[in-house]
Amino acid sequence: MSDVITVIAAPPFATIQDLGRVGFRDSGVPVSGLADRESGLLLNAILGNDPNAAMIEWAVGGGTLRFDCAAKIAFGGADAELGIGGMPVRHLMPISVVAGDELKIVRIVRGRFVLIAVRGGIDVPLVLGSRSTLLSAGIGGFQGRRLRAGDELRIGDSMVAPCDATEHTERTDRAHVNGSVMVMRGPQASLFDDAAWATFLDSEFVVSRASDRSGYRLEGATISHSGSAALPSEPACVGAIQIPDGGTPIVIMHDGPTVGGYPKIAVIRKSCLSRFAQMAPGDPVRFAVGSSDCDTT
Amino acid sequence: MDEFPIIQQLGDDALLVTFARTISWDVGIRVRSTARRIRDTRLPSVTDVVPAYTTLAVYFDSRAMSFATVSSEVATLIGDADAASDDRSALIEIPVRYDGPDLAEVAEWTGLTQDELIEKHCSRTYRAYMTGFAPGFTYLGDLDEALVLPRRTSPRVRVPAGSVAIAGAQTAVYPLVTPGGWHLIGTTSMAMFDPARDPPARVRAGDSVRFVRVGG
Repeated sequence: MSDVITVIAAPPFATIQDLGRVGFRDSGVPVSGLADRESGLLLNAILGNDPNAAMIEWAVGGGTLRFDCAAKIAFGGADAELGIGGMPVRHLMPISVVAGDELKIVRIVRGRFVLIAVRGGIDVPLVLGSRSTLLSAGIGGFQGRRLRAGDELRIGDSMVAPCDATEHTERTDRAHVNGSVMVMRGPQASLFDDAAWATFLDSEFVVSRASDRSGYRLEGATISHSGSAALPSEPACVGAIQIPDGGTPIVIMHDGPTVGGYPKIAVIRKSCLSRFAQMAPGDPVRFAVGSSDCDTT
Repeated sequence: MDEFPIIQQLGDDALLVTFARTISWDVGIRVRSTARRIRDTRLPSVTDVVPAYTTLAVYFDSRAMSFATVSSEVATLIGDADAASDDRSALIEIPVRYDGPDLAEVAEWTGLTQDELIEKHCSRTYRAYMTGFAPGFTYLGDLDEALVLPRRTSPRVRVPAGSVAIAGAQTAVYPLVTPGGWHLIGTTSMAMFDPARDPPARVRAGDSVRFVRVGG
């Protein structure tokens, strides 16, 4: 048997991701990559992998993976129930599996993306310098698409250090936001008057069901802006909070468009982006203008 | 009012330079000249330089270089429009079979025959204003005024890859299957997005484009 992980049952949405694809935005190519990159970096550190080693970003439901060789694995990101042969698997701890072991992802308890990493990383071809899947272009990851039952994922050799078996205490509370998501003013912040800003900062929004790796829609209050909404399209960035004509905010995420014409009231601070990305449909979210520290207390 | 150009933060890891509020060809040349100078300077930590209609963005790693540092470097590189360097951009000829599902409708709305419409679409050299919306999707202008129409009232959920389309004063090729609200007048067999190439977009901001009618 080769060094392969076989997908026995896939959830509706699982893809291979690494830290993303930079340098091609001027060709319209979004950065893609792990939505919760903080957890991804932590998993790669735990497994002694290169920080950019690719892993499985697993969302929406349960499923099963089978290991066809001995391997070291770890999972992180969303709080989830995972088990091997009925034994629960702990979050953020390296686990040894043997050929034939099956990892069951029972359910996602809280958060959006469960990250499943293997020592050595998932070996898929580099496309434009990255192993990340971009579904809209059908590139990267495993054949440019979501994982399906029967897929055989090869284990790579992207390791740089021994496994780190020390206890990681941050554990599951890393994966979701308590308190506010910190933002900085966006390029069109001044198109929004004091009342609009008050609505934006005083409202509790809810992450909409109409959210995916391209963008998260937020329901709740609507925000109006003075001036014309017809801005010449301009470059955007991950975490930009756009306000379309209807006033319902849309946050651009990793697979989202590289340019956009809607006014951007604010941009999520980099330090809060992973935690924001872990918010699932129905989760409440509040914003605050502030420092680069993501307050989780 | 505003003093152009202005440099603003675009999140922690990018900055946006705005050269004007309204789109014009001259502003576009200035945006692209500046983008070229920033690229040629090869600032450490800068990963992407993206020109658009009246703005450009510089993406960098803020752990390696602060906004203040990148911003002051970029400020020294903002200069005049350099039309000569813009003219060095590639001229790309795109073969088109004018067989789009909206061709007859567009001809009717514009009061042209299909041949006149095709002739007007082929007779110009277009300039690429901006790449975005989807990988390899590049906005080309300006269309002959006789061809200017608003977008379709109901966008298509699936526009086939290779569709040649018009809307407003612009024309473009859909490189991938995406939703779209433009009028589809033809198809090309030229791959507009090829991940095996660098750059992967066949046409990017600043390039010149001609459409060449092929059989059918």
